[in-house]
Amino acid sequence: MRPRRRFVLAKTVLVLIGALLLQIGAVADLRLLGATGDLLLLLAVAAGWVDGPDRGLSWGFAAGLAYDLVLDTPFGLSALTYAVVGYAVGLVSVALSRPAGWWPVSIAALAGLLATGIYAGVGHLVGVPYPFGDLPPVALVVAAWNAVLILPVMRLMRRLVGAQKPDRIALVLGGRR
Amino acid sequence: MAISRPTGSRTRLVVLLLASVTLLTFGVRDVPVIRDVREGVGTVVDPVVGAVQAAARPLGNAWNGITDYGNLEDENAELRDRLAQLEGDRVAATDAETQFAELSRSVDLPYVGDVPTVAARVSSGPRSNFSHAVEIDKGTDDGIAVGMPVATGGGLVGRVSRASGSTATVELLSDPEFRVGVRLAEDGELGTARGQGRGEPLAVDTGIDPDTEVAEGTGLVTSGVDRSAYPAGIPVGEVTKTREGSGGLALDLVVEPLVDVDSLSYVTVLQWTGDE
Repeated sequence: MRPRRRFVLAKTVLVLIGALLLQIGAVADLRLLGATGDLLLLLAVAAGWVDGPDRGLSWGFAAGLAYDLVLDTPFGLSALTYAVVGYAVGLVSVALSRPAGWWPVSIAALAGLLATGIYAGVGHLVGVPYPFGDLPPVALVVAAWNAVLILPVMRLMRRLVGAQKPDRIALVLGGRR
Repeated sequence: MAISRPTGSRTRLVVLLLASVTLLTFGVRDVPVIRDVREGVGTVVDPVVGAVQAAARPLGNAWNGITDYGNLEDENAELRDRLAQLEGDRVAATDAETQFAELSRSVDLPYVGDVPTVAARVSSGPRSNFSHAVEIDKGTDDGIAVGMPVATGGGLVGRVSRASGSTATVELLSDPEFRVGVRLAEDGELGTARGQGRGEPLAVDTGIDPDTEVAEGTGLVTSGVDRSAYPAGIPVGEVTKTREGSGGLALDLVVEPLVDVDSLSYVTVLQWTGDE
């Protein structure tokens, strides 16, 4: 691996660890209607929007996996959910030619609703039912956090991935562009 | 900026989705290697998280002040009423006696017998929206191990689901995966209670004979039957409703937990591993 690639990979890992610590050390306690925001999901959404489905997929998987390591919920559920959502946001971003303005804010909010639905739906499929009554406040709060924070996180993601750079996480995981 | 192809890399999509599903399959079965990895990560991460939590506490307090403003007003009014009442009763020595008795009840758990206990502070709430677990500030260094029951003076709170050196995770009884064998305090009928989510009552939908007469307010305690994960006699909740279940083959109970697990400050871990 070339030094520059290693440098970008190191930055990526640092951002993931930083987001994880912020999430469980600070954001998790900032609750509204019993629910809170999700910085790891936000990273996947921002990656998908800034650089398309591949990046969204890779970041979603990595961020979800990192989150799964510190949770008591079924291992792999966050990784699957965030990978799918990051990929979906990337597809929408490409299809719409990455429009600015309110588009990223709206898509990020919708991604919050989608992620909540997928997480709970897959949970039911694998025999870990989450009460449906808990879902509306969770979906709304996650969507609101996503909408508020997506623009600064996109800026961070642009700095991180740069222009026309290969996907570092994908390289590590052995994927191809 | 170059954007990935609209269809993305199908190979990567397939590989990562398969990897996620495989991990999830192992995760749902809670295989030992994943549990070990999580415990290892917890040992490394928990002290750092503790530092982040300490640094972010003012932010959390400010947030709660804003978002719980309505509740704080109500609480404030309630506290003023209580204060006035206490001031009026100040001269009465019985007040001090009552408070002393109440304090004794919260510190001593009369139902645990000679099982050793460890008192712990709840250091943080659930780490995600779908988690029903809290962190406590005591761990294996204090004699806490996975599987130990956790309670307060009011009754059962949950069980230790993960433990590292200085912290532990407590799975709350509101977790939909939580199960506990229970016994009706009045007639000894056995059943299994399960969590149904945050703020929801427990459900007992297996084990209770349909001919059993269960009155509203009937208490439930842990059954402690052979190989139970909990010692017998820990108060769990009170029946608030009964209904016919399983096609008339069982009686379903709706049970209100005795402890509000959404607002815990201190808990007691029972150093009971089921071998006693």
